[in-house]
Amino acid sequence: MPEHTIGTREEWQAARNELAKLEAEQAERNREVREKRLALPWVPVETQYEFDTEDGKKTLAELFDGRSQLLAYNVMFGPDYTLGACPGCTSLADGLDGALVHLNHSDITLICFSRAPIDRLAAYKQRMGWEFPYVSTYNTDFAFDFGLALTEEQAQGIPEVREMTENPPGWLEEWAGQVGADLKDGLRENPSWIAFARENGTVYHTYTVSAPDPFVAPYFSFLAERTPNKGPDEPRSFRKDEYPD
Amino acid sequence: MTEHTIGTQEQWQAQRDELLKEEKELTRRGDELAAKRSRLPWVAVEKDYRFETESGTQGLADLFDGRSQLMVYHFMFGPSYEAGCPVCCSIADTLAAQVPHLKARDTTLILASRAPLEKLIGFRKRMGWDIGWVSSGGSDFNRDIGFMHTEDELQPFLAGEIPVTVIQNAEMCGTTAGGYVAEGPGLSVYTLADGVVYRTYVSTARGLEFAMPYYALLDRTPKGRDEHPGTPIWLRRHDEYASSVAAV
Repeated sequence: MPEHTIGTREEWQAARNELAKLEAEQAERNREVREKRLALPWVPVETQYEFDTEDGKKTLAELFDGRSQLLAYNVMFGPDYTLGACPGCTSLADGLDGALVHLNHSDITLICFSRAPIDRLAAYKQRMGWEFPYVSTYNTDFAFDFGLALTEEQAQGIPEVREMTENPPGWLEEWAGQVGADLKDGLRENPSWIAFARENGTVYHTYTVSAPDPFVAPYFSFLAERTPNKGPDEPRSFRKDEYPD
Repeated sequence: MTEHTIGTQEQWQAQRDELLKEEKELTRRGDELAAKRSRLPWVAVEKDYRFETESGTQGLADLFDGRSQLMVYHFMFGPSYEAGCPVCCSIADTLAAQVPHLKARDTTLILASRAPLEKLIGFRKRMGWDIGWVSSGGSDFNRDIGFMHTEDELQPFLAGEIPVTVIQNAEMCGTTAGGYVAEGPGLSVYTLADGVVYRTYVSTARGLEFAMPYYALLDRTPKGRDEHPGTPIWLRRHDEYASSVAAV
């Protein structure tokens, strides 16, 4: 339990008003950052990718499903994961279906990507009860081209990844057990959001953001952050059907 | 259509690197804000509020359901409403999926509204949400934290030019503008320590954007929010988009 003071209603209100000013300032800064995001140049995607989907092979343009924007979350679920996707990514994905219909009606197709083969993604999606389309980047260069995955050589070349693989903290060892992969393979997937636009028959890459940006965190963390005891700081996660107790 | 430039991968990367610095600065400030938020004093809740729940009449401490933290989303569904506020519906669409994850963090998340319980439960069934919902209509629970307004208080607002979104939402709720805005949306958070319930956090209005995760998603899309002042809000209940009054 964090330290806390007990106060009167008036003391709380005074402190809350101060905090509200800071929250408003933060919202204003967020608005400025949003505008800069919109000012990023769009980069045409020249490579022809073909993905395995639940409805057969599709190109990147076809993933838009007739809409002009595509927003995708890249779930850490590599071909070497024998027990399923990363539990943290899974918890994030649990929050997507609530937004799905609202985004679809704003001309945005919302999907998830992973590098494991499509039959394993489809089975996992069924287990989790998700509705959003889940697309496999297996056997394509897409994930590597867009920084959503590292090759074995690339992973070996990053000192931080090598260090985490060779001397993992306890929670990371547990995580490797949860996904059923060696860390040297498990840490090759990059949890990220990626966005594309489609205009006059051309697909453009517009934005990517990866961990540790807090946007790549399960939605409940934004709620938990507003409780007095938000829980441990270690990124230990569970799938919703695997919580101990 | 948003204005945009077309660029090379190198141009994009250079601008992205600059933006990343600002995103990181925003994150750092967000962390500071969270630390300050957690230092708000706790205020003992002394009134004995009563709620109608699916398990009968309960007090605030009972709503914790055996956990030490309680988070209440004050869903705009007043006694005069025929259906819940569409914007609150979009919030509940995502909140419901968080219930199991918050439980594991010793936190019970529920909805509370002033309409009678049976109306709330009937509407929840229609929307398909798996989340607790209690009626606070029989107590001053909403009133005391500023989420219920009297006719007198609303008079100046109702006498002025009423925003189109309010008119649209009131119609969709089957009530008048006055009936609609009598309810306020908000989030309140409580903790239970040594048998005492403390209120720790309250947020409302623009401070609720974190509860609307679709905005954070829209903020990463090529065209952004694409909302315009004076235009009624685009949100509909998830089962009403096809028949929406003003198709987007």
